[in-house]
Amino acid sequence: MATAIVRSAKNLRNLHQRFYFHTLLTKCRPPIPSPTIADNIQHRALPLIQQAIPFGIGFQSFAADQRFSSTSTTTGTVQSGHSKPNSEGGDKSGDSNQSKSDTGKPIRGGPISWLSFLLLALTGAGIIWYYDKEKEQHIEEINSASQAVKQGPSVGKAAIGGPFKLINHDGKNVTEKDFLGKWTVIYFGFTHCPDICPDELQKLAAAVDKIKENSGIDIVPAFISVDPERDTVEQVREYVKEFHPKLIGLTGSPDEIRNVARAYRVYYMKTAEEDSDYLVDHSIVMYLMSPKMEFVKFFGKNNDVNSLADGIIKEIKQYKR
Amino acid sequence: MAALEAYASRNADEVHTDVLLKARQACYKSRDAFYDCLEKESNKKPTEIASVGLLYPAECKALRAQFVNHCRASWVKHFDRLYCKNKRVTRLLDDGGETRR
Repeated sequence: MATAIVRSAKNLRNLHQRFYFHTLLTKCRPPIPSPTIADNIQHRALPLIQQAIPFGIGFQSFAADQRFSSTSTTTGTVQSGHSKPNSEGGDKSGDSNQSKSDTGKPIRGGPISWLSFLLLALTGAGIIWYYDKEKEQHIEEINSASQAVKQGPSVGKAAIGGPFKLINHDGKNVTEKDFLGKWTVIYFGFTHCPDICPDELQKLAAAVDKIKENSGIDIVPAFISVDPERDTVEQVREYVKEFHPKLIGLTGSPDEIRNVARAYRVYYMKTAEEDSDYLVDHSIVMYLMSPKMEFVKFFGKNNDVNSLADGIIKEIKQYKR
Repeated sequence: MAALEAYASRNADEVHTDVLLKARQACYKSRDAFYDCLEKESNKKPTEIASVGLLYPAECKALRAQFVNHCRASWVKHFDRLYCKNKRVTRLLDDGGETRR
């Protein structure tokens, strides 16, 4: 390689045509061994020479670009690597490559061809299609998993509920054991509630009837007062009578109510305005309890009658399974 | 057990009927009538004091009296508070936060 460079340096000094290239290339590093290329091409096939020389022009300018960005050692390999495939494909695409070679891009025979472009597009499309399918599958899996029946014990239960000792609206003492065997929906409120408790209890009563109509399941609605001081047994009895015959009203001593509220995680607070006329701020929630008096689901204020009824029926069906 | 029995016998007489169904319905009706009056006369200057900062024009005075009559005091306050809150929200939505209130 070194001797070739020396030889070419001498030749460049002598020849006019090569001098032109020399001026071009002296800006950068050592001159290109153009005779080397010419030699290679001449060795391959004679008719290529006519095409090779103009091609050689473009090729050398491309090589010049290469020179700018790479070291001198690699350029030699680039040169020799390019010269071989170039000469092979040169026959077919010589004409088109002439225009391309003017711009200085050796497409013919290089790593990039129309075939490789096609393969790349196909591979890309294939990858995208495969990815899309996988994603679809994954999303479907997530969707079906979220709708699938969740087995209770494996998922875990919220620690809501517990034993209580209250008085029902008939004056009888009841505990949670009296509610075993049937599904219960418990609502916490107080009789002196302006608008929310009546609406919720009406909703609950309508839902109980609807559930009975749709699926024949008996639900026991229960109302536990968070205002034991004003909600006596009679008060509660008069109150629950108006909503539903099956609605059970529960009250008790303030201590017992406090225990029950704590067990069911119900917040309640007297907004002490005057002595007898106050409102009780409380969480608005209905708890669905299983026949074993275990917590299953809660329903907030946002559910209307239909969604409440449907939600309860769904939970019951899932539970039985 | 004794405590429960004692509790059950206490306050055996009074039943607050003003929170039962009929009373509630009468209260709701008068409440709606009063607030509708407020809506209708919203262009008039509110001069009368209701409660919890709510003001209303003198045209609705009679309805106000009825409202207060039919509902418990705590309920009146509660409904007034609710009305103010809703008013503020609608005003915010309508103005887009331009008026400084």
